[in-house]
Amino acid sequence: MPFRRALFAFSFLLLSAGLLPAVEPMTKEQIQSVIRSEAVTIPTPGEFFAAMDEHGQPNWTQMFAPKAAGPTSSREQMALMLGVLVADGYIAVEAQDGQGVKNTGKDIINLAKKLNVNQSVLSRGNSINDFAENNDWSALREELEATQNEVKLSMAEQKDQSLVILVTIGAWIRGTQVASDFIAKNYSPGLAGLLRQPAIVEYLLSELGNLPAGIQQDPFVVEVRAKLQEALLLVQTKDRTPLTPEAVTGLATTMNSLLNSITGGKKES
Amino acid sequence: MKTLGLLLLSASLLSALEIPPADGRTQTTTVRSKVLELAGAFANDGYKIRDGYWAGILEPGKPQFLEVNLFSGNTYWFSAAALAPARTLSVTVFDENGRPLETEVFQDGLTAAAGLVPDASGRYFVRLELVEGDKADFCLVYSYK
Repeated sequence: MPFRRALFAFSFLLLSAGLLPAVEPMTKEQIQSVIRSEAVTIPTPGEFFAAMDEHGQPNWTQMFAPKAAGPTSSREQMALMLGVLVADGYIAVEAQDGQGVKNTGKDIINLAKKLNVNQSVLSRGNSINDFAENNDWSALREELEATQNEVKLSMAEQKDQSLVILVTIGAWIRGTQVASDFIAKNYSPGLAGLLRQPAIVEYLLSELGNLPAGIQQDPFVVEVRAKLQEALLLVQTKDRTPLTPEAVTGLATTMNSLLNSITGGKKES
Repeated sequence: MKTLGLLLLSASLLSALEIPPADGRTQTTTVRSKVLELAGAFANDGYKIRDGYWAGILEPGKPQFLEVNLFSGNTYWFSAAALAPARTLSVTVFDENGRPLETEVFQDGLTAAAGLVPDASGRYFVRLELVEGDKADFCLVYSYK
């Protein structure tokens, strides 16, 4: 074992020093056929907020202003709202607001119940409470993602697969709304660069396009698609440059409008 | 990032334990546990491990590419593990134009990892390749801070 340990340490040092064989660039075919797996291709709001902390000093306490869901029987709207709540949970964690995390966790579980998710998800609410009680912010970030993933798994098992992407979209909308609002008021190229997310918006639009025809005609889904198309034009920049101040403001307006619709009451078709 | 050497060494020793073959979902659970042992080393250094994972089957001569979206300001580690009869894995990261990026690299038989600090936010690709051995189950997770 000592030999193995020495060998490993040596190889780690060599590899860390960059003594690696030359790597060929990817071919066009390889780029076109990359795998996109929602669970890892789409970042969590927590990742996004961690990067914001590196580029600015957001006042998360001020930014944690959760909106209650309006009355609705639309499962699509509830799924979007569930995603919004998950993002709210991450904001509460950034604000280190234990009571806020507990309240949001409770709202997530209540909404999940309305969507008839599996009982196993409900125990997540207790874990969220326990971690919040102990101010274990790191564990809470992981628990929020695990809760969201378990809700999605339960939806998929109940043949509610179409709701899964709406949860992801709801979380992205709330994360982008709160970030673009802050960046519009505190513009810097570093912060604005974080909003350059065309591949994410393209992925979300493509998944919306794969939903069953009936769901695609749902008024919420129609509005979400239209607003995501607007957002795509704003977050695409040339040569990996940050968004302009105008584009950030435009994105904030679009996301605020969309969030108000999701958290508002039932939409008539 | 190089201070992680000792932590990675511990993870490597743990991953050297023989794991009996299993089927289907059990196989994924087994390989996921293995990769989480490696990622756990990064968690000890303040990295948060994503709950989501990418799992599948890797074949010799058929590298797989995964699209990820990263943020400048964060530091990332992509950790992968495979089961026997795979013998050596490698993880490589490319930018959105498919150009290979310089990364910190960890490689120890059935586990491998690549770490980077992206200079711009956006789309990146992670390549997972079976360098030695035969077709096997794999699992990849990533951590950030």
